[in-house]
Amino acid sequence: MSTAGNTMTTSSAKSSVVRVQRPEADSTWYLPGIAIGLWMTGKRLVLNLVETLTGRPDRMPTVNYPEQKYEYSPRFKGNHVLTVKKDGSLRCTACMLCATNCPADCIHIIASEHDDPTVEKYPIRYEIDVLRCVFCGFCEEACPVDAIRMGPEWQTPGVNGSDFVYDIKHLAYRPQLKGGIVSVLDESERHKAGI
Amino acid sequence: MLKCTLNGREVEVKEGTTIIEAFYQNKIDIAHYCWHPGLSIAGVCRLCMVEIEGNPRLQIACNTVVTEGMKVNNQSAKVKEAVKWGLDFHLINHPLDCPICDQAGECGLQDQYMKYGQYDSEMAEAKQKKHKVVDLGPRVVLDSERCILCSRCVRFTDEVSKTNELGIFNRGDRAEIGTFNGKPLNNKYSLNTVDICPVGALTSKDFRFRQRVWFLKDAETVCTGCSTGCNIKVHYNREGLFRVKPVYNAEVNGHWMCDEGRDVYKFVNKESRLLDARVVSGGKAEHMTAFEAAKRVGEKLKGAGKSVGLVLTGSYTVEEYEAIMSYFKTEVGTDRVFHWINNPESFESFDGLLLRGDRNPNTRGLVQALQKHGFSAQWKELTEALSTGSIQTLVVAGPENQVWFPDFKVKVAELAKATRLVWMTSGKSSALDELKGEVTLIPLKSYIEKSGTFVNHAGRAQSIRPVTSIVKGALSLTEVVSAFRGEALQATEVVVGRSENEIGRGRIHNEFTLSRGAW
Amino acid sequence: MAESKYLTEHYGKPEYQTLEGYKKLGGYQVLEKALKMQPQQIIDEVKASGLRGRGGAGFATGVKWGFLPNNGEPRYLLCNADESEPGTFKDRLMMERAPHQLIEGMIISAFAIKAKKAYIYIRGEYTGPAAILEKAIAEAKAAGYIGKNVLGSGFDMELDLYIGAGAYICGEETGMISSLEGLKGQPKLKPPFPAVQGYLRKPTIVNNVETLAAVTYVIRDGAAGFRKYGTEKSAGTKLFSISGNVNKPGTYEVPLGYKLMDLINIECGGLKPGRKLKAVVPGGSSAPVINAEECERATLDYECLAQMGTMLGSGAIIVIDDSNCMVDVLSTITHFYHHESCGQCTPCREGTGWMEKIVHGIVHGEGKPGDLDLLLKIADNMKGRTICALSDAAALPVLSFVTKFRDEFEYFIREKKSKVRGGQIYAQMHA
Repeated sequence: MSTAGNTMTTSSAKSSVVRVQRPEADSTWYLPGIAIGLWMTGKRLVLNLVETLTGRPDRMPTVNYPEQKYEYSPRFKGNHVLTVKKDGSLRCTACMLCATNCPADCIHIIASEHDDPTVEKYPIRYEIDVLRCVFCGFCEEACPVDAIRMGPEWQTPGVNGSDFVYDIKHLAYRPQLKGGIVSVLDESERHKAGI
Repeated sequence: MLKCTLNGREVEVKEGTTIIEAFYQNKIDIAHYCWHPGLSIAGVCRLCMVEIEGNPRLQIACNTVVTEGMKVNNQSAKVKEAVKWGLDFHLINHPLDCPICDQAGECGLQDQYMKYGQYDSEMAEAKQKKHKVVDLGPRVVLDSERCILCSRCVRFTDEVSKTNELGIFNRGDRAEIGTFNGKPLNNKYSLNTVDICPVGALTSKDFRFRQRVWFLKDAETVCTGCSTGCNIKVHYNREGLFRVKPVYNAEVNGHWMCDEGRDVYKFVNKESRLLDARVVSGGKAEHMTAFEAAKRVGEKLKGAGKSVGLVLTGSYTVEEYEAIMSYFKTEVGTDRVFHWINNPESFESFDGLLLRGDRNPNTRGLVQALQKHGFSAQWKELTEALSTGSIQTLVVAGPENQVWFPDFKVKVAELAKATRLVWMTSGKSSALDELKGEVTLIPLKSYIEKSGTFVNHAGRAQSIRPVTSIVKGALSLTEVVSAFRGEALQATEVVVGRSENEIGRGRIHNEFTLSRGAW
Repeated sequence: MAESKYLTEHYGKPEYQTLEGYKKLGGYQVLEKALKMQPQQIIDEVKASGLRGRGGAGFATGVKWGFLPNNGEPRYLLCNADESEPGTFKDRLMMERAPHQLIEGMIISAFAIKAKKAYIYIRGEYTGPAAILEKAIAEAKAAGYIGKNVLGSGFDMELDLYIGAGAYICGEETGMISSLEGLKGQPKLKPPFPAVQGYLRKPTIVNNVETLAAVTYVIRDGAAGFRKYGTEKSAGTKLFSISGNVNKPGTYEVPLGYKLMDLINIECGGLKPGRKLKAVVPGGSSAPVINAEECERATLDYECLAQMGTMLGSGAIIVIDDSNCMVDVLSTITHFYHHESCGQCTPCREGTGWMEKIVHGIVHGEGKPGDLDLLLKIADNMKGRTICALSDAAALPVLSFVTKFRDEFEYFIREKKSKVRGGQIYAQMHA
C-alpha cells in the first residue's frame, strides 16, 4: 500500500548482523503443553456434566449452539454491510480505496457518473468475493465516508459458488438489514455547510 | 553559457534561461503549478519561490532570468515556509473531492502536499462554492471548485491551439474557468488541457471514472493515428488499455498530441479484437490458432507465382514489411504487391500543429520498402486482375484502425472477389464476419504487442517495444511469414519485463516529480 | 500654519473649469514657457524639485522619468485617475474644479518624456468628473493645445479619456495598462517594468493626476521655488482628503511636513464634542493605522510616517474616534479587499477571502480564541509574495489593527459584542 508520490527509503545501509535468539531445546518440549491442554478440556468436561446434572445449564462453559448463540462484541468483523444515505441510496462513492487496501484482492468495483452533480460518482457494480475475503477489516478502515462496515452476521452458508459473490443488493439491502443501515457521514450536511 | 549555483550545486545554463528552467534541466525538485515548459510564463501560483543571495525578498523562479554567478536556494527555512503557505492558500477553498476525483493518485495538490506541506489545516470557515460538472465541450468536463486557477488551460487555448475558447470569468475567489456563449471547447487538441491541468478540474469524458490511476501501469510507445508519430504513453492493466497521454519529444510532437490520437487504444482492447483464426470454406467455419491457419495458407502460397496478390496498408512496421515483401518476392514469386491508401485526397494535408491527413503510422516505411523491392503495381491493376480472375489468392494485411478507412466495407466486398482471400488483421469487423467463399482470417498483433520501427512523415524512424499481450496467439507479420514457411515461432516477441524506471514505482510518475511523463 | 493655496488657489471660482476662465487666471502660460525649454531640462528640473508621486507609492517622479530608454520607440504617458483607494477623493476635486490644470500638466510632461500619445484613465464611477474632463479636453483640442504642432512648437500630442468599469485593481499601474490594452485589468509581472515595456510593450510612464498637475508648478517656480513648501525629502504641497469623525471633512491642501493634529483640529474643525481621538488611517485603507499617541507626533510627510511603520500613501486620512469599533472598521476593510482582488495569484485571492471570513465571523459572534494569531499569520504570509501590491495592501491593515487594538478584538471574541458601548456595528447591520 505505497502512497503516491513518496519514496520511503528503508535503512538498508546498515550491514550489521543480528543474532536471533532461538528458543532453547527444552522449551520446545511439547509434553507440558499437552498436559495443560488436557487439563483444560478435562475441567470443562467435568463442569459441563456437573452443571447439567445439578440443573444449572447457564453455568456451563459450553454454549448450546444453535439454541444458544454466542454474543460477539460490537467490534466483531462479520459480513460486510454497505451503508446508505438518509434517502436510501448507496453511500459508497466508488473511490476504490477499499479495493486498493484489500490484501486478498476480493473487492471489484465499477464506477459510473451520477446524474446529480452533488453525488457525481457512484458504483454500478460492487462485488465482494467472500470466499477470498479474510475478514481483516482493512476495507472498513480505508473507507473515507463510512460506506462499508463489517457487520455482526457470520452464519451465511451458501449452496452455489455464486452465492459467495456478494453484490450491492445483498450487501446493502438484504432483508436482515431492514432497508439499509444509514451511514454516519452524510454528504448533504457537508454540501449545505459549504465545506 | 552561464555558471550559477542551485542548492549548492554549480551548474551551467544557457543565456536567457529562467531559474525554474535551470532547476528542471538539472532535475532538481521545485514546487510549482502554473509553469509549463510548453507555455508562456504566468507567475500566478506563487509557489516556485527561491532565495537568491543578495536579495532580501523571495523571488519567483519562473520569471527570474539567471545571471552569472547567481546563487539560488530553495531549501532554506524561509522558502519552505513560503511554499507551505502557498500550498495552504491553494487548499483552503479546495473541495474534499479526492474520493470522486479522477486525478487522485496523480494530483499536483496531493503530491506537493506530501512533499512540501504536511501541515494541519487551520481553515475553519465555509468554503467557496462554485459550479461542478460543467460541460465545457464534447470531450472535457470542468469542476470549478477544484480549479486552482493556474491558467494553464487558458494559455494553452491561446498559444498552442490558438482557438481562444477558454477564459477566466469573475474576479477574486469567485473566478471560474469557462467558455463563451456558443463556442464550446471543441478543438482538435482539447484533451491536452486535461493533461496539463495539475488538479482534477478538467477531466476527460472518455476516461472519467473508468479506473483509478494507481491500478494502471504505463509504457511508452508511438501513436499510430497519423504519420506524425507522436510519442505517447499508454496506461493499461490486466483488463486492457485505458488511456493515452503524450510524451515529450522535442523533434516530433513537443509536449502535445491531438485528440484523435487519444482513441488509439480503443481498437486494441479485447472487445474489438479478432481472438483466433477462422477458416471459412464451403459455408463452414473452422476455428484454430493463428499459427496453424498461417501454416495452412503458407502451404498453398509456396511457389504459387503471379496468381497471388498482396495488399498492404501503412499500419505495420518496417521489419514486418521487409519480412513479408521478401517472402512474397522470393518464395512466392509474385510482384503484385498493392498499397491500399485510405484517403488519397487528404493525404498531404496538415493542420498546422500535429495532425496530418495520412492516417497511417508507417506509409513512408511502406513506400520505401516497396521501392526497395521494386514493387510498383497500381491499384487499378488489382481491380482488373480480380475481375479477370488472374489473381486467385489475395493476401491482405488489413488496417489496424478501421475508423480511418471510410471505404472499408466497400473494399472488403471488392477484395472478396478473389477466389481465396486471406485477411490478416488485428481488429474484428462485421464486414469480415459476413464474408462467404474461401476466407481465412488471421488475428495479428496490434502495435502494443510487438516491437518494430515506424517511419514518420519526415523520415524519422521511431521504434516501439511490446507493452503487454492482449490476444494470446496473435502474430506479427514477421511471425506470420515464419508460419507461412512452416517454421516454429522463435521466442523473440515475448513481453520483456520493463526496467525499474518504468514500472514498479507506480504512480510516482507525473510531471511534478520531474520524470519523463505527461509534460 | 494655515492651509496653503498653491494648486488649489483658484478652486473656489467656477470659471476656472472652462478654458477661458483658466487662461484668464494665468493658465497655459507655463505651457508656453515649457515648450521653449528642452525636454531634458524639464526632466532635470522635476528631478531637482524632489516631486514625489502623489498617487500612493511616493516614488520620485524625475527618477521614474529617467528610467525611459533612449531607443526612440514611441512612448506613452498614462494619467492614473482611477482613484479607488478607500478614503481618497482629492483627484476628483481637481478634475471637477480645474480640469485644465491636469491637462496643462499632462502636455508639459508628455513634452518632457517625448510621448506623442497620452491617456487619462478615469474610474468608471466618476461619471460627473469624466463629463467635465471630456468637455475640457475638447476645448483644449479646439484651442490648439492638444493635437498637431502644439502652439507652433513642432510637438504633436494626442490626449484621450478612457473610462474604467469599476475595479480597484485597475488603479495598479500594470493593471491599468492591461485594461487600456483591452484585456482583463489584471496586473502584469514585473520585470519588465512599464518604463521599459508598458502599454503595448512600449515605454510607458504612469503618473497620478496630482503629480502631473504639480509638474506645471515645478516649471513655473523652478525647483527652488517648489521646495519653498514641504520638507527636505518631501517637497511641495499635497492635497489631503480627510473623512471620518471630523467636523469639516473634505479636501485640503497643506504643505508636506504639516502636523497631523493641526490639520484635524484647525482645518477640519476637530472632532465632535465629547469624543476622543482613537486612531487615524493616514494614507488610504492600505496604510497601517496609527493610534492616538502616534498621531500626536505625526507630521504629514513621507519619512515621518514611514518611520512610524505606516505610509503617507495617497493622502487619504480617515479619522476614527472612540465611538467606532475597530473590529467593525476592519471588517469593512477586509470586505473591500476581498471584493477587489483580481484573483490572479493565489495568496491574495484566497487570503483576502479567508481574512474577511474570519473577521466577519468575529463580528457575528462566532470568533474563536485562535483567530487573532491566525489572522496575523495569514497576513504575514500574504505580504511580499504576489504580483502586485494589493496583497500587501490587504495584509497591512489587518496586521496593524490586530496588533495595535488587540484588546478590542479579544473583547469581541470573548463577549460576542463590541467593547464600544452604544455604537452601531455597521457590519452587523449589513449582514
